[in-house]
Amino acid sequence: MLFKSNFVLEINNNSIMKRALLALVVSLIVLASTALWFFKTEKSVTPRELLTFGIIIVLVGFGLYFAYMRFTGARRNEPPEDELSKRILQKTAAWSYYISLYMWVFMIWLKDRVTLDTEQVLGAGILSMAVIFFLCWIVIRFRGLRNE
Amino acid sequence: MNNRIREFRARHDMTQDDLAKRVNVRRETIVFLEKNKYNPSLKLAHDIARVFGVAIEEIFLFDN
Repeated sequence: MLFKSNFVLEINNNSIMKRALLALVVSLIVLASTALWFFKTEKSVTPRELLTFGIIIVLVGFGLYFAYMRFTGARRNEPPEDELSKRILQKTAAWSYYISLYMWVFMIWLKDRVTLDTEQVLGAGILSMAVIFFLCWIVIRFRGLRNE
Repeated sequence: MNNRIREFRARHDMTQDDLAKRVNVRRETIVFLEKNKYNPSLKLAHDIARVFGVAIEEIFLFDN
């Protein structure tokens, strides 16, 4: 009990922990609302919806992993951000921005050929942007930032 | 650019975590540096050199 209260105190006193907690809460809210939509829907689930659900699960997993890394880093008294993590984030943002532009061009091209509602196109686009960001982050982390 | 951080760290009997704490970065940054996957800023290079008590060019090897 004392350990738990100390841990909570540590969370409250530490802004790093608060940011990690925020990422955790947002991830759980997204997961809960997706699960609610998945289990409460009256219609049978189409493969496209199943794919969407799968992608959301992967992205929430990424969010939870990010929050976990922040928690463990903060408990080891590591700085929440340093020059490498900032540069990885900057590079990821730049790459994903450029790739997303092409993705939206592709979505506009696709909209003329496939019958999709505007909401569906926007939803798919936003989800694709998140996937692109996630993939860019993975590629940059594995590739490194040598000579840049 | 290559570096001899691992070698100097072993010489000073220092873990990656120790070095990271001394120069105020995450351990992951030291891992990236040792694998030559990241070129540090001048400030970080200076801080690392100061921890080992040597000049920057002794740790970071600039090739043409």
